[in-house]
Amino acid sequence: MLGFQRNKRVGIWTEGPHRLVAHGILDDDIYGLEVRMVVDPATREVRSVEGWWNRWTTPDCPLAAERLQDAVGVTIDDEDLARRLQRTVGRRGCRHFANILIECCHSAREAIDLLRYEKARESAPGLTFRGFLDPSRPPESAGGAAEAARPPAATEASGPHRTAALRPEDLTGPFIDLHVHTSPASPCSSAPVDDLIREAVRIGLDGICLTDHNHLWSPEDVEALKQKHGFLVLRGNEIITDQGDVVVFGLERDVRGIARLEDLREEVVRAGGFMIAAHPFRGFLTFGVDKLGLTPEKAMERKIFQYVDGVEILNGKVNAEENRFAGEVAGGLGRVLTGGSDAHEVEEVGQYATRLASPVRNEQDLIEALKTGRTAPVAFRREVSDARAEA
Amino acid sequence: MPMPHLLRYSRNRTTSVEQPTPGTLRAACRLQDNLMEAEVEITVGLPDLDITAVEGRILRDERGVCRGGLEALENAVGVRIGPGMAKIIKGLVGEDFPCRQLVFMVEECCHGVILYFTKDELQAVPDDPDEAREHFARLIRKNIRLYNRCAAFAPGSSITEGIEPPSGDTPS
Repeated sequence: MLGFQRNKRVGIWTEGPHRLVAHGILDDDIYGLEVRMVVDPATREVRSVEGWWNRWTTPDCPLAAERLQDAVGVTIDDEDLARRLQRTVGRRGCRHFANILIECCHSAREAIDLLRYEKARESAPGLTFRGFLDPSRPPESAGGAAEAARPPAATEASGPHRTAALRPEDLTGPFIDLHVHTSPASPCSSAPVDDLIREAVRIGLDGICLTDHNHLWSPEDVEALKQKHGFLVLRGNEIITDQGDVVVFGLERDVRGIARLEDLREEVVRAGGFMIAAHPFRGFLTFGVDKLGLTPEKAMERKIFQYVDGVEILNGKVNAEENRFAGEVAGGLGRVLTGGSDAHEVEEVGQYATRLASPVRNEQDLIEALKTGRTAPVAFRREVSDARAEA
Repeated sequence: MPMPHLLRYSRNRTTSVEQPTPGTLRAACRLQDNLMEAEVEITVGLPDLDITAVEGRILRDERGVCRGGLEALENAVGVRIGPGMAKIIKGLVGEDFPCRQLVFMVEECCHGVILYFTKDELQAVPDDPDEAREHFARLIRKNIRLYNRCAAFAPGSSITEGIEPPSGDTPS
């Protein structure tokens, strides 16, 4: 005989192009509660939440419903979503409300994928769902699907003159994670460099670039790491500029504070280095493309793109939409396309990487390989490491 | 355009707990949504509340991510249900485990087991609101970790009135 049963149900529908509504019910032997949540499919942000109890336990449980407002503004793609909601709605309100909200957020994410898939099939009727999800699909075809979730204002502009990205299998060079942070060099990272390298070796990367924030590793220290691990470790630097973060290779100066982009460019050119706009659209969907009126064409006019050689179109700290948008902009500008995990934790290294066309033994080789423009950003862990493990 | 208000996505998840023998609990979680159908069942030994068996089954997976290496789910065997279990289970099953949904379903089973016992405890709560309040206050005093764990047990609620916060827990 059953001793306990919990049922959770989530139903999702659309109310116009800007509102995705999720209705969640949690009903078990102890608790009965419901939530109704509105998500903006363009920003993927929770716009409003309301909830109510049907059955509860303590006399003060009803106080918990007001803490549901802590979920407003959360992005459903947030990797840390569950923990965030448990800490806020759960800890300050009620963990059962948090539980059904998490279920609603995950469901909303899947619903948006399905809506975009339906839209993509309008132009490609034979497209399978797995094919639609394949990140190696060229950005131009993915772009059409992404637009399904955007407000019309953002999709009216005609497409830029896009350059198709190379696929990793088109190239034979190494897979290198061009963007990682270590602790304590980057205060925001909790990844000790030795652990990070060991993880990179384990998942099969061919090399990593240490790109700590405004911190330049000494050649001796990096050489020692290479020797110790028998693994390619390269030096770079993620520099904060007045126009956004830029990953730089080939600059032998420890830049402190915020650099002026033009000055940095001048210095990097003199040094024969290479500059990549890092996560250029990080967080831009927070404001909503519709509100910003940002189209790929308009974004291409941003100053930063005039001063960099490459654009990071796969970055582990932004959502899929933001990466896709970066891909459209970089493709339209004909910039070199790169991918990097932006790892701040050991287990994040290699989430994204870049495959190059020629062997790389040192920073100079890397810069030359990047300058050829023959690069293929790749979701390394999912597409390469896991596939190798399965094979 | 599809008809407004037609469901574009739906998900059903059921978790149930039963006691097949005096020394065993069995918890099962079943999921069905537009993209996936899966089942997880765990067996739990009493009185230690340790997981003695785990089984996972994918019946449908439109994304195709839950394939291969699912036996790592069995690494959760031996975990004791209680505080910190989610982190331990994730750690043992491995961050690279191809199907996060199945891991989540193991956690749901474990939460089901806790709620199974909670339900039993709640049978003893008096109907009268004042007496119920006193009952829960006693519960917090007995297990001070419950203090500030939710809105009802937070400083300022009628239940925590007169209860000293545990050291290190600053009321906000």
